[in-house]
Amino acid sequence: MAENAMLNQWYPVGLFSHLAKGVYKTALMGEKIAVSADANGDAVVTTCAGRILPVLVRFGHVWSSLGEPTKDLFSIPEADQPGRRFVEVGVVRVRCSPLRAVENFLDIAHFPFVHTDILGAEPHTEVQNYKVEIRDVEDEVWATQVKFYQPQAAKSASGGITTEYMYRVPSPTCSVLYKTCPPRPTEWDVITLFVQPLAEDLCDVWPWMALFDDETSMTDLIHFQQTIFLQDRSILENQIPHLLPLDPGMEIPTRADMTSVAYRRWLKRHNFTYGAQLVAQ
Amino acid sequence: MPAETTGFWAPVALSADLPPATVIPARTTAGSIALWRSQSGRVAASADRCPHRGMRLSHGFVRGEALSCIYHGWSYAQAGNCLRIPAHPGLSPPETIRVATQKVEEADGLLWVAVGDPAHQPPALAGLVPLRSLTAEADIGAIERAAGATLDARGVLETVENSQAVRLLLVELQPHRTLVHVLVDDGATPAERIMASRAAESLRRRAESLQGGIA
Repeated sequence: MAENAMLNQWYPVGLFSHLAKGVYKTALMGEKIAVSADANGDAVVTTCAGRILPVLVRFGHVWSSLGEPTKDLFSIPEADQPGRRFVEVGVVRVRCSPLRAVENFLDIAHFPFVHTDILGAEPHTEVQNYKVEIRDVEDEVWATQVKFYQPQAAKSASGGITTEYMYRVPSPTCSVLYKTCPPRPTEWDVITLFVQPLAEDLCDVWPWMALFDDETSMTDLIHFQQTIFLQDRSILENQIPHLLPLDPGMEIPTRADMTSVAYRRWLKRHNFTYGAQLVAQ
Repeated sequence: MPAETTGFWAPVALSADLPPATVIPARTTAGSIALWRSQSGRVAASADRCPHRGMRLSHGFVRGEALSCIYHGWSYAQAGNCLRIPAHPGLSPPETIRVATQKVEEADGLLWVAVGDPAHQPPALAGLVPLRSLTAEADIGAIERAAGATLDARGVLETVENSQAVRLLLVELQPHRTLVHVLVDDGATPAERIMASRAAESLRRRAESLQGGIA
């Protein structure tokens, strides 16, 4: 079955720091699961039928899988640099395909219209050419040299700057964004989107960040990202169809959408079709 | 339903509910539409889906004589052709990028959208003006039974509810859901308008319970 390819992937299923609060009941690809800590404080994930699922803890989150992951979860080497603050943004539930949530994260052209006066503003709407590739060795989608004018690129930014971005898709429902770091121009801020597929048309989005920012309060950092993701939700819940169309014909990409085109191609190549629509309707 | 073999006019909204430079969602039995009025007052109806990334155009915005998608700002003319792609300001969008449109007629304070290719103009509602619209979770048959009356050729139901003469213009939205426009005499007083509005609500409640009883 085509879904098997995605069944064997790792998915975020909750925040590790929240396990002390007790059993967290959630779902993964249509199956009810429970996330909890054992007597040693280690994370345990089980289905309601009692099946014990694979588990690992990384980037502040508990990860699990309904299948048998053949690969370790991807790494983010930059997150290990000393001096970074880790921000657990929490969860935003979105009634959309998990793949649509990732694709929206890869898109910069919507900034002036959806994140007006924060991540973008008219008349600065142009998307300059950038580079996109599917890296064969890592088996990841990468977009580099992405530049965009932003009125307030980060909580730590004062005034408008042209921000540079790199996007990385290391697994079908996760993306890592590297972004100009206003206080440290030689480093990248790391902002991730970890998407938990609850169903093909329903997901929990867990943003997580590793930033160089010693000034802004944790509350303000979390509020900034939650504002952005709630704005995105108003889009994601109103796209038709809810599932991501992988076949050409249903939607019209332009040069600005090269990352999305590569992402869709990469999904199709791997049969990562949970949350996708394969035939144009 | 006032259907003809080639098509019909569906009264989808009141003129008063669509001021200049706004867009609202509307629906006919043929599906969802984005109904919008340009800055200069021209009304248009398009498919409620931007062909770029599938976003509902009824969530968009109107500037000047164009409707723009809220997602990436792609803007469309009344005829449905794409005018501008903000990510590529120097690009003239190809003719192939367009949204499907439907004909709209504005008459007697109502906005009529063509479903199919109607042979005639929308019916005239001589002397009557729309007061308000409401949605009934009932099909037209249930409303007719609740009223003890049947629609005329224009789609108007005339009845008496709580000793109050009521005229309702009905149009099917989808199975068991009907859009109801309350009509009053052009010179109706505020008190008469309030009574007509309440009578329509009372009729809606009975039609909905009748519908529920059948289902």
